[in-house]
Amino acid sequence: MAPTTKRPSNSSWLNVLSSLLVPGLGQVLQGERTRGISLFATVIVLAGLIIWQSLSVLFIPLAALWLWGVWDTLQRERGRPSGPTAPFLLAALIVYAAGIKATEIVPRRIITGWPNIQPIVHALVRPELLKHPTEDRIGYLPLQVPCIEPLPEPGENASQEPRLHTNVRCAGMGETIILEGEGFFPEFETEIWWRNPIGDWQKVIKDGIPLTVVTDAEGRFQVSLQVPTTAVPLDRLPGPGETQTHRVEARQHKPYGSLQPTQTLSLVLNKIGETIALAFIATVLAVIFALPVSLLASRNLMWGNPASRAVYYAVRAVLNIVRSVETLMWAIIFVVWVGQGPYAGTLALLLHSIAALGKLYSEAIEGIDPGPIEAIRATGATWSQVVVYAVLPQFMPSFLSFTLYRWDINVRMSTVIGLVCDAGLGFLVIQWIRLSRYNAMATAIIAIVLVVAILDYVSAFLRQRVIEGVPSVRRRGWFRRYAVPAMVTIALLALFVWSWQVAQIDIATFVTGIPDGLRLASRFFPELITRPTEEVSVSAALPVPCGAAEPTPQPPSGPRVNLSLSCASPGDPLVITGHELPPNTRVSVRWLLPDGRYLRIQKDCCDTDSMGNFRLETKVHPLLEVNPQEEQIQPGGVAVVWKQAIGGPRPSEALTTTFNLSLVTLLMALIATTLGSVVAIPVSFFAARNVMGRSIVGQAIYNFSRTVFNLWRSIEPMILAVISASWLGFGPFAGVVALALNNIPNLAKLFSEAIEEIDAGPVEAITATGANRLQTLVYAVVPQLIPRFLAYILYQWDINIRMSTVIGYVGGGGIGQQFRTWVELDMYEAAGAAVLAIVVMVWSMDYISGRVREKMV
Amino acid sequence: MLRVEHLTKVFPDGTVALRDVSFTVQDGEFLAVIGLSGAGKSTLLRCINRLIEPSAGRVIWNDIDITAVKRGELCRIRRQIGMIFQQFNLVKRSSVMTNVLSGRLGYANPWWTLVHRFAPEDHIRARNALDRVGILDKADSRADQLSGGQQQRVGIARALMQEPKLILADEPVASLDPVLAHSILQYLEQLNRQDGITVICSLHFLDLVHRYASRVIGLKDGELVFDGLPSELTRERFKEVYGEEAEMVTVGGALAA
Ligand SMILES: Nc1ncnc2c1ncn2[C@@H]1O[C@H](COP(=O)(O)OP(=O)(O)O)[C@@H](O)[C@H]1O
Ligand SMILES: [Mg+2]
Repeated sequence: MAPTTKRPSNSSWLNVLSSLLVPGLGQVLQGERTRGISLFATVIVLAGLIIWQSLSVLFIPLAALWLWGVWDTLQRERGRPSGPTAPFLLAALIVYAAGIKATEIVPRRIITGWPNIQPIVHALVRPELLKHPTEDRIGYLPLQVPCIEPLPEPGENASQEPRLHTNVRCAGMGETIILEGEGFFPEFETEIWWRNPIGDWQKVIKDGIPLTVVTDAEGRFQVSLQVPTTAVPLDRLPGPGETQTHRVEARQHKPYGSLQPTQTLSLVLNKIGETIALAFIATVLAVIFALPVSLLASRNLMWGNPASRAVYYAVRAVLNIVRSVETLMWAIIFVVWVGQGPYAGTLALLLHSIAALGKLYSEAIEGIDPGPIEAIRATGATWSQVVVYAVLPQFMPSFLSFTLYRWDINVRMSTVIGLVCDAGLGFLVIQWIRLSRYNAMATAIIAIVLVVAILDYVSAFLRQRVIEGVPSVRRRGWFRRYAVPAMVTIALLALFVWSWQVAQIDIATFVTGIPDGLRLASRFFPELITRPTEEVSVSAALPVPCGAAEPTPQPPSGPRVNLSLSCASPGDPLVITGHELPPNTRVSVRWLLPDGRYLRIQKDCCDTDSMGNFRLETKVHPLLEVNPQEEQIQPGGVAVVWKQAIGGPRPSEALTTTFNLSLVTLLMALIATTLGSVVAIPVSFFAARNVMGRSIVGQAIYNFSRTVFNLWRSIEPMILAVISASWLGFGPFAGVVALALNNIPNLAKLFSEAIEEIDAGPVEAITATGANRLQTLVYAVVPQLIPRFLAYILYQWDINIRMSTVIGYVGGGGIGQQFRTWVELDMYEAAGAAVLAIVVMVWSMDYISGRVREKMV
Repeated sequence: MLRVEHLTKVFPDGTVALRDVSFTVQDGEFLAVIGLSGAGKSTLLRCINRLIEPSAGRVIWNDIDITAVKRGELCRIRRQIGMIFQQFNLVKRSSVMTNVLSGRLGYANPWWTLVHRFAPEDHIRARNALDRVGILDKADSRADQLSGGQQQRVGIARALMQEPKLILADEPVASLDPVLAHSILQYLEQLNRQDGITVICSLHFLDLVHRYASRVIGLKDGELVFDGLPSELTRERFKEVYGEEAEMVTVGGALAA
């Protein structure tokens, strides 16, 4: 039965025509509702994207998509429905083109920015771990730049031992001088440093490299060098006839004794402790809080009556909202509340953990099978016996594995939470990158990778034990039965107390700060709609001193401002009253100065009463005085200014910015996921055991790629963002690259697992039909891989959307960067709008990916 | 005619799955292969089309030494040998039609097939094959939406697409209940009788052997321990193949070991 070809009839032509007019209409008329509506929606959304990014070239593929709709209607009339490949490709073309523009992707910057991160990459292989203590010899000498007549005494002294000389006492910028030294370590390397008058140090460069000289056998040296032309910033250059004192220094660092840990290393070790303490305390406290919360969020416990059902919904909603705001974002908010430091980080980790654990625990409770409970109850057991014998055995495994999982996440998070709140290893990274101490930063980054990698390994081990449910070994002897548990308990308690202190938890300030916190929270109420305003003012003249000008009379009615004096001298007491102004409005009362500027009379002044009046007592400001020498004839005065709404309400600027950046964020996530997948798919085959085979080479490649992926996965995306921001500049491009770099190993690992789980049966069957290898791949392997790959890609996109809401804090662009800016500028209503957008985005993505996954599995 | 000569298979881990097995199959025969699980039945069938490389010995089919041919030639031989599996081995997420068409891969233009394009004759052939096994109405379903018996019929249809001269069936009915088992074997019987296709089929149930096979070979620990007519397969000989402890029991009208 070959597909039949019908001749289009008259009504068919009508359908085709309507498709030409409105995309999708033809399909709807043909009875293909969903197809038509999706086509219509796609065209509208894509048109929106094109207009948003003003990429009018893209109207060509859009028109092609439109025409495809017409063609599809025609084909359908002929009874030959067409596949979705063409429209899908067209839509993808438009989305990616708009996305590349929106996320400011400029591949060239990958190369031009390379010099910026070269020192970082170099440093990563040379972390500061150990070094010899040094005995230092430092000689210095002041030098005046430039030369003037007469030359004043230099502002500082030269060193006595060792000693430096120059052939001149002063020099111009870029002039060559001869520097001699004596009294140094003999035959030893000496670095030459330069200090400018502001106090900044730099190494003296000669022939493009830092200048070092080696002393002779008597500890002397002689070298010629140029006064650095870049020593003084342009705005600090000396004026004509002035000179500045610079300093030239010769330094020797002679190592002695055995290797010692550097200060960097001890600081890093210290912060590793802080990182773990934060994660530990947050997890423990979160468990304590989440358990009762989870009871309230369990459907099976709360379904009884309408009141508890309402509680259930409320708790669920709060948990979901708290969860969809990332931990790092909470950290930024808590910094505003309790200040920089580990405490803010702990609170953020804690809050997010409570919400996440509360949800997971409640799901575990909902999953409890009532059967065993009934059975135990039927034996005549008491309530507590039922809990011990029927409830806990069901709840414990999921409880343990969820808690362990959260501890995992918390350690990862606390390594980077310092990027925003000065705590833990992340703080060191961000601090040292600002100071350009790359080797030190590399030490911190390596520490983060190690902490995460070790933790991964340990928790994989523990999880295995939990899942296998290792039966409690029969404990022989009192030592095993009592001493071991007691020691573990004491160790955990000690860990808890120590973590409590490291985390700087301060319940008192937290409680006393609650009103402040609530006030702060209320300021986060998003401002979505504003009415455009116009400043309106009324003023009254106040000549100072009297006779400087004529006072202007005030109108007897309407908005006006009256002064108790018609003219005054500086410092005279003055009463300002406003009348018939808009009632209950904040107005700004200002001095109008004779030179045209204005000064606010008092901060936070004033609010009008319900009649539109206000009263303010003050003293006449001295700047109001008219200065006849400067020909000021305009008298000063008092103005009252307020804002008056004009026109209807419209979206606030915060809302439009948020909308814009949310789209950018979604596209960032999309492009990063795409880039990550494109690279991950081919490389994942190297990490699949069944592909690499049993040969020695295959095993080696397999093990190597597994190890690389695991280590690479331990580099947190936030750290990648710090690096990529200094590589590619701040903005969404850096965020995209950081996310993509993070996605590659994650997806590769998931993909390789999918490949390992391929069913060999179909492969065998297709091979047996005489198909060649490529055909076997296409017909037996690819169909098995596509749905799982898609599911993982979707899952990664979901994670990327969450990540891209915070990656901006360290320069990755998108909504996160704007959020942090708004918080730092105290623009909390705008920040609130950003939070709202993030919650909406995360929720809709969760919903969509849930639906799609449902369809695919 | 298929001649298996001194076939031996030693797996890399040292397991000897086949030990010097020799027998001959005339064109048009329905050969049953019996033996305990692990006796080497699957290995034997897979050595014939070289899904498993034999360690020693030869398989000669119509005067071609299959064990000696190169890869390209092997594909051309394989496409004339249909294979049916216990677990059906369909690509579960592909449609029934795609699964059936994939039986034609050895004949079709290799490049066009990479984008899932087949000649119109192949589509017609696929519909005929599906019609023949009675599930034409399922052509557009996804393979995993079918029942076990239906999936095995798709497997047969896929083999039919190859226009095979020989069908290797590895316990084609072991995952199906007895009634379905008969219906599947009836299709194989039909192919054997009407189309003259040689069938080599491993089976577990003695009554199925008696009912369908024209000849039987028995394997035990990789060695050929029986070669004869079904009627010669008495209870005693059956016990020899299956071991002393094997009891013949009647399950759903079928005798089983
Ligand atoms: N890939 C393999 N590697 C190692 N041993 C195998 C492999 N496949 C099968 N075997 C072994 O070869 C023997 C024969 O297996 P098989 O041919 O599957 O038996 P049957 O199909 O008769 O149940 C068994 O002992 C089995 O364990
Ligand atoms: Mg078998």
